[in-house]
Amino acid sequence: MEQKKYWQSFGELTNSAAHQQNAQDEFKEDLPFEGLDDKGLGSATTPRRDFLKYVGFSTAAAAVAASCEMPVKKAIPFVNRPVDAIPGIANYYATTYVAGGTAIPVVAKVRDGRPIKIEGNELSSWSKGATTAQVQASVLDLYDTARLRYPLAEKKEVSTFDAFDKMVGEALAGLNGAPLVLLTSTVNSPSSKAVIAEFLAKYPGSRHVQYDATSYSGMLLANEASFGSRLLPSYAFEKAKIIVSLGADFLGTWLNPVEFQHGYTQGRKVDPKHPGMSKHYQFESMLSMTGANADERFTHRPSESGAVAAALLGAINGQGASGISDAALKKGIEQAAKDLAANKGQALVVSGSNDVNVQLIVNAINEAVGAFGTTVNLVNKLQNYAGIDAEFVKLVEEMNAGSVGALLIYDANPAYDYFDAEKFKAGLKKVRVTVSFNEKMDETTELCKYVLPANHYLESWGDAEHKVGYISMLQPTIAPLFKTRQWQDNLLKWSGNTTSYADYFKNFWTARLGGEPTYLKALQDGVVESPAMVMGFPSFNGAGVAAALTAAVAGKKTSGQELVIYQKATFTDGRQSNNPWLQETPDPITRATWDNYAIVSPSLGKSMFGIDITNATQADEYEAFPKKPLIKVKQGAKEMELPVLIIPGVQADTIAVAVGYGRTEAIGKAAAGVGKNAYALTSFNGTTFQRTAAVTVEKAAGEYKIATTQTHSSYEGRYEVIKEITLADYVKNPTKILDARKKELEPWGGLENYEKDGTIYPVFDKPGIKWGMSIDLNSCYGCGACVVACTAENNVSVVGKPEVLRAHDMHWLRIDRYFAGDPNDPNSIQTVFQPMMCQHCDNAPCENVCPVAATNHSSEGLNQMTYNRCIGTRYCANNCPYKVRRFNWADYTGADSFADNQVGGKGENEVITMMNDDLTRMVLNPDVTVRSRGVIEKCSFCVQRLQEGKLAAKKAGRPLEDRDVKTACQQACAADAIVFGNVNNKESLVSKHRAENENRLFYVQEQIHVLPNVSYLAKVRNTGEISAHTQYGEPHFMGEGHGAAEGGHH
Amino acid sequence: MASLRYESQVREPLVTGAKTYHDVTEDIVRPIEAAPSRLWKIGFTISVLLLLFGVYSVYREVVYGIGEWNLNKTIGWGWDITNFVWWVGIGHAGTLISAILLLFRQGWRTGVNRAAEAMTIFAVMCAGQFPIFHMGRVWMAFFVLPYPNSRGPLWVNFNSPLLWDVFAISTYFTVSLLFWYAGLLPDLATVRDRAKEKWRKNMYGVLAFGWTGSTKHWQRHEALSLVLAGLSTPLVLSVHTIVSFDFATSVIPGWHTTIFPPYFVAGAIFSGFAMVQTLLIITRKVLNLNDYITMEHIEVMNKVIVLTGSIVGIAYITELFISWYGQNPYEMAAFKNRYDLSTPYAWSYWLMMSCNVIAPQFFWFRKLRRNILFTFFMSIIVNVGMWFERFVIIVTSIYRDYLPSSWSTYYTPSLWEVGFYLGTFGLFFTCFFLFAKYFPVIAIAEIKHILKKNGESYKANMGEEEKATVEHFTHENAHH
Repeated sequence: MEQKKYWQSFGELTNSAAHQQNAQDEFKEDLPFEGLDDKGLGSATTPRRDFLKYVGFSTAAAAVAASCEMPVKKAIPFVNRPVDAIPGIANYYATTYVAGGTAIPVVAKVRDGRPIKIEGNELSSWSKGATTAQVQASVLDLYDTARLRYPLAEKKEVSTFDAFDKMVGEALAGLNGAPLVLLTSTVNSPSSKAVIAEFLAKYPGSRHVQYDATSYSGMLLANEASFGSRLLPSYAFEKAKIIVSLGADFLGTWLNPVEFQHGYTQGRKVDPKHPGMSKHYQFESMLSMTGANADERFTHRPSESGAVAAALLGAINGQGASGISDAALKKGIEQAAKDLAANKGQALVVSGSNDVNVQLIVNAINEAVGAFGTTVNLVNKLQNYAGIDAEFVKLVEEMNAGSVGALLIYDANPAYDYFDAEKFKAGLKKVRVTVSFNEKMDETTELCKYVLPANHYLESWGDAEHKVGYISMLQPTIAPLFKTRQWQDNLLKWSGNTTSYADYFKNFWTARLGGEPTYLKALQDGVVESPAMVMGFPSFNGAGVAAALTAAVAGKKTSGQELVIYQKATFTDGRQSNNPWLQETPDPITRATWDNYAIVSPSLGKSMFGIDITNATQADEYEAFPKKPLIKVKQGAKEMELPVLIIPGVQADTIAVAVGYGRTEAIGKAAAGVGKNAYALTSFNGTTFQRTAAVTVEKAAGEYKIATTQTHSSYEGRYEVIKEITLADYVKNPTKILDARKKELEPWGGLENYEKDGTIYPVFDKPGIKWGMSIDLNSCYGCGACVVACTAENNVSVVGKPEVLRAHDMHWLRIDRYFAGDPNDPNSIQTVFQPMMCQHCDNAPCENVCPVAATNHSSEGLNQMTYNRCIGTRYCANNCPYKVRRFNWADYTGADSFADNQVGGKGENEVITMMNDDLTRMVLNPDVTVRSRGVIEKCSFCVQRLQEGKLAAKKAGRPLEDRDVKTACQQACAADAIVFGNVNNKESLVSKHRAENENRLFYVQEQIHVLPNVSYLAKVRNTGEISAHTQYGEPHFMGEGHGAAEGGHH
Repeated sequence: MASLRYESQVREPLVTGAKTYHDVTEDIVRPIEAAPSRLWKIGFTISVLLLLFGVYSVYREVVYGIGEWNLNKTIGWGWDITNFVWWVGIGHAGTLISAILLLFRQGWRTGVNRAAEAMTIFAVMCAGQFPIFHMGRVWMAFFVLPYPNSRGPLWVNFNSPLLWDVFAISTYFTVSLLFWYAGLLPDLATVRDRAKEKWRKNMYGVLAFGWTGSTKHWQRHEALSLVLAGLSTPLVLSVHTIVSFDFATSVIPGWHTTIFPPYFVAGAIFSGFAMVQTLLIITRKVLNLNDYITMEHIEVMNKVIVLTGSIVGIAYITELFISWYGQNPYEMAAFKNRYDLSTPYAWSYWLMMSCNVIAPQFFWFRKLRRNILFTFFMSIIVNVGMWFERFVIIVTSIYRDYLPSSWSTYYTPSLWEVGFYLGTFGLFFTCFFLFAKYFPVIAIAEIKHILKKNGESYKANMGEEEKATVEHFTHENAHH
């Protein structure tokens, strides 16, 4: 049978010639490519089309050929994958941050062989996973370009360690019995102590001197007198209902702030069911960070600290606060004494003084209030400061007398931080053999003949016993970057021991812990804890108290200006002064970066500089311009010119200057030329170094710019920003804040329906995960650890002082600080700290204004930035009510498509290139985009961590839990002020935190209906009243009229 | 032949000096055909130098970053957007004159519309530079265009007022340019026909699009003018309304104000007319066109200035009143930050108030309205005032907003920020000088159009007509 045939046209049916022709020619028309034989292009049949085609092709070809030259960057894969190294997956190693005697157990995050982030070690029972700003910043020190890279002899490179060992060995052999001194900061490492003992035994007549830049000699000696041994007790702030601090900045810098913050916090968290909290009195001269958190604060002259302690003791003993002329201060002391006496066994008094007599009196007070054995622990003592000032002074005398043969220095820098640095330098010249083991070039190392740089702690083996019974281990997280060697290795070598310190350390702990498995476990955990029971503590010997009382009162002055040398919570003693992250972290109180300065009281500001900060015009003038006047401070023969910052809350005649600044070019580019060295103004009173002094001051000519990140200090009665309440008020009327919120939102559907009724737009469901954060203002002390943690985690740029001066700082997270009270009455000043970051508003004003939709909302409630979509109109930043968006004004990170454009201009426009070295860039977190010039950036709620956490939960086949995700700021906080998680999960911490604390909960600027996802808990003050929130006399703006949402009484 | 071109003799003639049609052509085309004057050369050189300085300033900003300017984390917009709004505002008078006044049959517009339209186009060109170059990544500026792309459903954000700006400004620019050019055609043909040099013939030949002056051409030309006028009229109102949305739709106190659209439009016309005055007073002097841009023109425009200035003044006072009446503490604070003399930027607010509200009130006096020097001085004052109005709105609102912690340091522009602004002056005047040299600055055809009823000689002849009886007049005109 013939096959059935389908046809489409008659042509096909009849198979006509025309059809055959058509079938053959695929294209009916002629293709336009005809031979151009002898005709020109112009006379071709379709010249215009051809022309366009040729143009198109040749342009494209030229573009491909000419413009796509990219710089070649080679990435060479491993031939064999190193064990445990999976690209893209971080490894975590437990180790210990060591700075002098301070040793904080940490976990280092290592990505592709590089440590990039430090977290606290949660296995440590005293640090509980908390860190400080210094710990967070320490990873950057590893990649510091100013690190010493090889051994030096008389400033020349020594090619091998062997050659160096030989050189020093010969030098030491040639001492001919002249004594050798090993000068270090406090050493509390058990294995290092053994190494030192071995080394000293090899050189008879040699000795070990410990010297701390921050001296606690006064306390050590006082405790020797009271308890028979030089010890530093540990303190249980959590057990104290009444805390009295006599100038001790225990939340910021004093002794062991990580532990104290944690303990203090426990007493300050307000249980919504049984509201109550500890009461904190602070007696001080300047406004310290700790003082800023106190419930009651009283100021006195620096020289009065002995008198205040004496009066307090007197008042507790029922003799009244004698010898105090200031009525308010006297009343404060009596009030504190009354509270202390009423809470025996639950009271604690600490003092920041380095005067033996003052510390003796404090011991007597603590004895009187039953603190020993309860809030003061004399058994599990702290071991982070052991230096005795007089011993070092004696050493300097000996050096000058030429009786020291060799000086081996590790981690001590007296040429910078000794009060009489010139004398030390002169003495050093008379020492025949000087060896420095310092990690970096510093003022002392510069003067040493031999320099063998030490490893950074992240490259080191070791151990530390910060607190008796609490050992923490160090293990290297990276091979030494440079030709450096651990100082213990040097001592072992030079004492003739051929074992390396790594082996020595291993043997030491294997023997102690009873076997290698336990040793490895200890390394893995990072901590070994075997605290002794708190019992049988030494009894108090009050013999010296009477004499101390007389001596302490004697130094009191009644006129003239006095100086307080203090430490910044962000910067401490200045050992990390070449760390740009720390330099750029604003001081909690002054909000200034990249400088030290003289803090003066408003009254001195008025009398000396004619700046009255209670006068609106003058205050504006003072705030709006970074130029500040200069003051000349004279202490004996020494004098120093410093710029002035006027800070309310500072005692009228007190001037405060921070240490850690005034470094030379050799220390590194971040530290060079920043501030003045205030150590030069300290003194020695025959027993201990003194951090206060009587000075004369005068106005100096000229002005100086200080880079502050916050200019205005009052929240101007804007209760939508900050809510505060007194404890008494809260107990009496727990729903006061909630009621005020309800009342304010009443016209827009009330609390429940505000989201829906407060807008004309449709409201969307928010199923699945919804990220949220809750911040307890009661637990934020302003220390800045979170700020540095955020910087490290999110590759936040460092911009340098000239840029901060122009308000170009890039921090994603800042801690706003507001003062309240009467500037003329320092005792009335109340301070509040408020961490402020992107609020991830559900109805975000930034999102709808972006013309290119570069910032948008995720289905999980994140307000996200798409950097490669951003064209940099800055409209979002303008429209952000919280002003948390940051713009890349220049190429801060070297990530720009224009090469070599980091130095835009001369002078002040120069962008500081702190973070662009290849070495420094190793610290960058590969999970976070390095932003280029011209785009906006802001807090992402650490979205990279959220993704990682979600994946972890998914892999484990379970719903997301709180433990899967922690933001960097949350993790760094010692006070657990920040709670984060999925608010759609009613069991999550953040949901509970919000639900349980509903009475204190508020959202900043709730009334504008941007629906933030960050909630705050109102600050509760255990005090009589909340000060008026108008820093400068009358409020700039109305405060009373809209008090509906006001939290406290004013 | 009489016609119904009757106009009262009470109105002053709009063309003085008993001009004939030929005189008009001669007077207006003469500067085009003559060699450039010394004054022109000096002015042009200065303009080009300013332009070059502007180009360098922009170069620095593009290569080194917006950090070359003194904006900061709190003040994201400063001189850049201030200048943008200012130039856009200036660009309003041209279209108003050519479109709205055309629809309202205002004869006096013919003397000034050409230059005013040119000014509009150049001002919008200057304005456009700022939103483009204020971008941190200007090389990505094309992201604002809704073009089809291969990035999935990646689209522009139609919610953003900044995107509305893109459409509003580009539409406005396109329509204004077409309108201006359509009006130029007959005049270009005139210049072409008179040309003697070959290049001149060629250039104007191409530019005139083959205009022959046939009736059909004229008919279509008239129709096109009306259509474009119809299109432009809503634009006069919409462009600055949309620019004001940049602020009005935000949450920032001082920006978030519903009064902005009318207030911005009035301000734009106010500043636009002031700029027209500045330019025309110079042009009529330099090109000797006193007969075409007469005192009458200047007075009429001064009346517009006093009217719009007063509207702006009422808007300022309304804003203050509403901030008090609304009792929103943040809005009250924003306004206190402007008027309270103790605050850092109060001077700019009061400068704005004196220049925009108080100063124009002098124009209630006829003598002052008809005083050339005073008018010129006032036109500068008004534009200074209007620049500060935008500065006050933008900077003093954001430099202290919701959180006192973020209140800014004192903002002053950097050299390159000022340079960019000066550069747009360079661009504007370079364009204007070229325009004045190569194009008829007054619409020849349109002047001829009104010559019969508004020209001085024709007005004089009207005397005869006035004397005639109504019956005679109707009779005379009925059959023609």
